[in-house]
Amino acid sequence: MTAQAAPVQDWPDRRDFSQPRPRGALWRAYLAMGRAHLRTVIAYRTSFLFGLLASTFGSFAMLYLWRAVLSHGHRANGFDWPHLRTYLLVTYFAGSLVSSYNDYRMAGRIQRGDIALDLVRPADFQRSRFAETMGVVCFEVVVGVIVVTLGALAFGGLTLPPSPASAALATVSLVLVVPLRFGLVYISGLATFWTQNYVGVQAARIALVTLFSGTMVPFAFLPGWLATTCTLLPFAGMAATPALVFSGAVQGARAVEAVAVQLAWAVGMWWGARLCWQAASRRLTVHGG
Amino acid sequence: MLWTARLYRRCLGVRLRAAMEEPGDFWLMVASALTTQVVGIVFLWAIFRAIPQINGWRFWDIVLIYSLVVVTEGLSVLVAQGAWQLAMTVNLGELDAVLVRPYPAVLQVLASAIGINGLGNLLLGCLLLGNAIARVDVHWSPGLILLAVGLLAGATLTKIGLNLATNCAAFWLKSPFSAFAFSMHTLGELARFPITIYGVGVRIVLSVFLPYAFMSFFPATTVLHRGAPVWAGLLTPVVGIYSVAVGTWLFRRGLSRYESSGH
Repeated sequence: MTAQAAPVQDWPDRRDFSQPRPRGALWRAYLAMGRAHLRTVIAYRTSFLFGLLASTFGSFAMLYLWRAVLSHGHRANGFDWPHLRTYLLVTYFAGSLVSSYNDYRMAGRIQRGDIALDLVRPADFQRSRFAETMGVVCFEVVVGVIVVTLGALAFGGLTLPPSPASAALATVSLVLVVPLRFGLVYISGLATFWTQNYVGVQAARIALVTLFSGTMVPFAFLPGWLATTCTLLPFAGMAATPALVFSGAVQGARAVEAVAVQLAWAVGMWWGARLCWQAASRRLTVHGG
Repeated sequence: MLWTARLYRRCLGVRLRAAMEEPGDFWLMVASALTTQVVGIVFLWAIFRAIPQINGWRFWDIVLIYSLVVVTEGLSVLVAQGAWQLAMTVNLGELDAVLVRPYPAVLQVLASAIGINGLGNLLLGCLLLGNAIARVDVHWSPGLILLAVGLLAGATLTKIGLNLATNCAAFWLKSPFSAFAFSMHTLGELARFPITIYGVGVRIVLSVFLPYAFMSFFPATTVLHRGAPVWAGLLTPVVGIYSVAVGTWLFRRGLSRYESSGH
């Protein structure tokens, strides 16, 4: 049986704990959370790697399909096979970051009501989840680099960014993927407060991100109105932006502009997530008192 | 036999009623399955905007193959979603209760859940399949229609059998998650496209070792008369029965390893 808890009105504002805390102590705590989750992922690496294998199969299917589409030196919408291959491998790498791990755990805690324990901890909830995610990201980066290397070897190599400036911008863009994807994954995890079911939310999120982030197909292949919409949405920064900059499809001022949009969304998502949390934590349901 | 089937239906009925208790969840699952499949179709459509055919396959040929995966996936999770519960059931030692009931354990496991997302898949899959059937270059005689129905049944059995077989990994891995089976399921998703686009190794895996290509590609080639010899697709019902047999055999082998959870 579930009972709706009364709105937590007299809850102490967590930014206003009376005792002064040394900033360093909190940072050490976040670092410890990240480390703990990195260790968890390493301990359960079999499950995690099978999950990764799943997305790798999907990505390889895309590579095979596009190879067939662009065989015999065909070009379509400004892409030839070597550049599209590079584009797809970078989107795969970006997509493998912040994969489903922390959101599942969070959704489970919300469903069971264990989240109440997180509320009494003297650390910020969102920052704690971000710290944990960063721990997992360390693992994902290593595995992602290995998979991309294997993919590049199997399908004929990676084209390098056209200039050092593009390479630098692509790196910045890849780093920005992490807070962006975290924002969305975190917000969709919070949706469990309303739906109490995470599987459906997660499946819908993955489908929407796959389409609107340009993971399977570059925006140039979509009709103009849809392509423009996709460029402005936050999803573009989760895969398409770094891939377009890396493969050289977008260069110069347009590349800087794309990364700026990405940065704006990363910041926007962080504060949007805060608002969601404020609304969500008032819907806390705890089982059995 | 009839009694077995009736009891299976009743087991599923209970699951369905349980799922209907949460209308929010119900619609969320249907909607998310629909979204996932619509995204796949938008992807195909975007590619075909740029080029007229892939390896000689036209848009509606590929939609036919694609929709067969969507339909068989939908049917398999509607009637045999329980395979995906196996990992958790084994991990928690909950198979004990199943083993003492006077009904085949494998059927109890298969009927232990219903995948409501299957309704979304089925809805969109039938829509796509119907459209593809109307638009591919095939003359539909009554004999061919009958054959197509048989092929669809075989394709569904193939998917159910492979789901069961891969999920039996739970007896050996003992992890509470179906990560292995899920990664094999994604491998099976490669059968959404004509397997002629893949390298020879992938083609062999999809046709022989984990014959996911019999959910879609081979039955479609028999109807379309292109891409593979006609006899290959005619094997679909045989492969379907074989897959279910392998799944059941692995389940038995796994059961002999099952050691509950120590209470």
